[in-house]
Amino acid sequence: MPAHRLPLAAALRRLCVGAVVGLLVLAGQAPVWAAPVQVITSALASRSNADQFPVDQPGETVTLPDDWEDSQPRYEGSLWYRTRFDLAASPEPDELLALYIERVCTNVEVHLNGRRIFSGGRMTEPVARNCLYPQLVTLPAALLRERGNVLDLHVVGHALQRVTSRQRAAGLSALKIGPYAVLEAEHASRTFWNISSVKLVSTALAVLGCVMIALGWMQRREAYLGYFGWLSLAWSLMSLRLWLRDMPWDNGVIEFLFCTGFAPVVALAVQYLLSYVGLRSRWVENALAVQWLLLPATLLLAGPTHLFAMASAWYLLLTVELFGAVGLHLYVIWRRRRSEFWPMAVPLAAAAAMVLAELAAQHDLVALPRVQWLHFAVPILFLGVTARLLQVFARTLLAAEDGRSTLEVRVKEITAEIERNFATLAELRVEQVTEKERKRIAADLHDDLGAKLLTIVHTSDNERISTLAREALEEMRLSVRGLTGKPMRLADALADWRAETVSRLGQANIEADWRGPAEDVDQLLPARGFVQTTRILREAVSNIIKHSGASHCKVRCAISEREFGLIVQDNGKGIPMELDGKLDRGHGMSSMKHRAKQMQGQCLVESGPGYGTVIRLTLPL
Amino acid sequence: MNNILLLEDLPEIRTWLKVLIKGVFADSQIHEAARVHDALGLVGAVKFNLALVDLGLPDGSGVDVVAALREQQPECQSVVVTIHDDDDHLFPALQAGAFGYLLKEQARELIAEQLKRMSQGEPPLSPSIARRVISHFASQTQRQERPQNMPHVALTDRENEVLLRVAKGYTLPEIGVQLNLSRHTIADYVKQIYRKLNVSSRAEAALEAQRLGLFRRA
Repeated sequence: MPAHRLPLAAALRRLCVGAVVGLLVLAGQAPVWAAPVQVITSALASRSNADQFPVDQPGETVTLPDDWEDSQPRYEGSLWYRTRFDLAASPEPDELLALYIERVCTNVEVHLNGRRIFSGGRMTEPVARNCLYPQLVTLPAALLRERGNVLDLHVVGHALQRVTSRQRAAGLSALKIGPYAVLEAEHASRTFWNISSVKLVSTALAVLGCVMIALGWMQRREAYLGYFGWLSLAWSLMSLRLWLRDMPWDNGVIEFLFCTGFAPVVALAVQYLLSYVGLRSRWVENALAVQWLLLPATLLLAGPTHLFAMASAWYLLLTVELFGAVGLHLYVIWRRRRSEFWPMAVPLAAAAAMVLAELAAQHDLVALPRVQWLHFAVPILFLGVTARLLQVFARTLLAAEDGRSTLEVRVKEITAEIERNFATLAELRVEQVTEKERKRIAADLHDDLGAKLLTIVHTSDNERISTLAREALEEMRLSVRGLTGKPMRLADALADWRAETVSRLGQANIEADWRGPAEDVDQLLPARGFVQTTRILREAVSNIIKHSGASHCKVRCAISEREFGLIVQDNGKGIPMELDGKLDRGHGMSSMKHRAKQMQGQCLVESGPGYGTVIRLTLPL
Repeated sequence: MNNILLLEDLPEIRTWLKVLIKGVFADSQIHEAARVHDALGLVGAVKFNLALVDLGLPDGSGVDVVAALREQQPECQSVVVTIHDDDDHLFPALQAGAFGYLLKEQARELIAEQLKRMSQGEPPLSPSIARRVISHFASQTQRQERPQNMPHVALTDRENEVLLRVAKGYTLPEIGVQLNLSRHTIADYVKQIYRKLNVSSRAEAALEAQRLGLFRRA
C-alpha cells in the first residue's frame, strides 16, 4: 500500500507546483528570471532603394516611433533604418531572443549584422500590407554577438496623403529586443485584438447578416431587417482588408475601394435607423444613392496624392449624416416607444463615441489607439443589435402565431355556429313547408269535401244519411286536426273534453259528474292522440245518450308520469249480450278498442244488463 | 230583427240558413250575398241588425265583412257561421268584432237555439277560445308601449274568473252555479269579454300600423 501512495502524493505535489507556476506565468507577462527587454527608441534613417543599408549615403537620426508624416513628409517608397544593440546580461545564456515590432507600415525586411533574417512579404507594389500586423522576428543565435550588433530595417510605405486612413500611413514603432517568450506573448495579444478578434466577430456578423437578409426577404414589410442584414454583410466585407495582406492591386486602388465602401455602409445604416422607426423619405434615399456615386467620383478627381484629404472630408460628412439619422431614430423612439429608448440609446451612444474618437485620431487630434477598437467593437455592437432584432422578430412571430391560432379557433367557432344555424334553418324550412302543405290539404278538404258533406247534411230527406254525413264531417275535421295540429297541453285537452261532454250530457238531461286531476298537468299530448281520444270519448258519450237510458254519468281521469286514464261510467241498462257472448258491435265498441290499440293503449268495456257500463281507457303519454 | 245580412257562398246552405232564420225571426228582411264584395256593398247601403257571415269565401274572408260592420254599424251583431271549428279560424273573426259563432253542420234545432240565445245576448265561449283570449290579454299587459289616444283595455277580475273557468272546461251554466251568478250576468261577462277583445285587438292593430309607419302621429 505505501508503495502505491508515494507516487500518488508525488504526482499531486508536482501538479500543485505546476499549477502555481502556470498561474505565475499567466499573472506576470515577464517571468522573473528572464533577461530584460531592451527598447530601442532611436535609429539612423536613410532613404534608399538599395538591397543593403546605404553606408555611403548620409542619414539622419530619428526617434522611434517614427511617423513618416513627421520625419519624412510626403515621402513615398523605401527607407532604411540602422540601429545597434548589445546583448544584455542574461541568467540563461542560451535563451532564444527576438525582435518585436509593434507597428511597421506598410512592410519590413530585417537584416542582422549584414544578413537578411526576416521579410514581411513583397516589398514592391503590390506591397504586402502589414500595417495592422505586429512583427515578431527570431534573432538567430549564430549571428548574434556579445556587443555591437547591427540591426538594419528596410521599410516600404506610403505617404499619408496617398492613403485614406492614418492607420495605413508609413511609420515604424519603437523596437523591442528581448527573450522570445516574453515578446511572443505581447505579439500574440496584439495580434489577437487587432486581427483575430476582428476576424471572429466579422465572420459571425457575415453569417448573421445573411440570416437577416433572408428574414428581410421573407418579411418584406419589415424593411429594416433587410437593411440591417446588408449593413452587417457590408461591414464584414470591409473588415476583410484587415487580414488580407496580399491583394493583387496597388495601394491606390485598394485605398480607393476601401473608402468607397463607406458610402453604402453609411447609406444602409441611415436607412436602417430610419426604417426601424417607420420613417421613409424618397429624398433621403435619392441623396444616399447620389452620394454612393459622388464619393468615388470625387476620390478619382482628387487623384492619389490627395486621397487622405478628400477621404477625411467625406468621413466628416458621413459621420454627420450618421449622427443625424441616430438623432432622428432616438427622437422617434423616445416619442413612441419609450421602453425601447435606453436599450437603443446606450449602444448607439457608444458607437457614436467610438466614431468620434476615430475621427479625432484621423485628424491627429489624439494619438492613434494601440488597439483598433472600432474594427472590433462595431461588429460586437452590430451583433448586439442583431440579437435584439431577432428577439423582436421572434416576439412578433410568436404574437402572430398566437393571433393566428386565436383566429383559427374563432373561425372554427363561427363555422360551427353557421353550420348549426344552417341546420336549424333547414329544419325550420322543412317544418314550414310541411306545415304549409298540411294547411293546403286541410283547406282543400274543408272547402271541397266539407262543403259537399254539409250540403248532404242539410238537404237530405233521409235522417240516417244526414246523420252519417254529419258524423263524416266531424271525422273529417278531426282528421284535419290530426294532420295539422300541434301537440297540445293535456290540461287543455281535458278542458275541451270536459266542456263538450258536460254540455252534450246536459242537453240530453243526463247528470254529468266529471272529476279531473286536482293540480295542473304539464304533459303534452300529440295532435293524433287528442283526435283519437276525442273520437273515443265522443262515441262513448253518444252511446250513453242514445242507448243507455242512464240518468247519471261519471267521468274520472287520472294522469301519471307515463300514461293517462279515462273512466266513463253510467248507470244505464248496460249493453245487451248477443248470443255468442260478445258485446254488441253496433255500439261502436270495436272501433273504440281499435283506436286505443292504434295509440298503444287499451280500452276495456265492462257491462252487464242492469249494471250500467264502465269504459276504461288507458293511453301512454 | 228587421234587416239580416246572410253571407254564404253555397246556394243550398244559403237557402237552408234562410229558412232557418225565417223560423227564428219571422218578420225579418234577409239580404243575401255570396261574395265578400257583394256583402261589403250591402253593408254600405243597408242598416243591419244581425249578420251571419261565412268565413271561407271565393273572393276573400268573411273577417273583412265583420270588421267593416264593426266599423260602420257598431250596433249590428255579427255571427260567424262556419264549417271550421278550430280557434285558428274563429279567433281572428272574434277579434274583428264577431259576437259568436255557429257550426254549420249542427242540427237545425241546435243552430236555431244558439241563434236565439245570441240574439238575446248570450254568446257561446269554448275553452280553446277562452285560452286564446287569456293569452291575448296576457301579451297585452306585458307590452310596454301603447299608442296614444288608445285606451288600455283590461278585463275585470270577474271577467277573468269566468274566462279561466271556461278555459278549464266548465260550461257557462256550471260557472253560474259556482260563482252564484245568474245566467244573464254570466252572459254579460262573456259579451264584455268579446267587446274588450275587439277593442284591444283594434288598438293592437293600430299600434302595429303605427310601427310600420302606415299613418303619422297627429
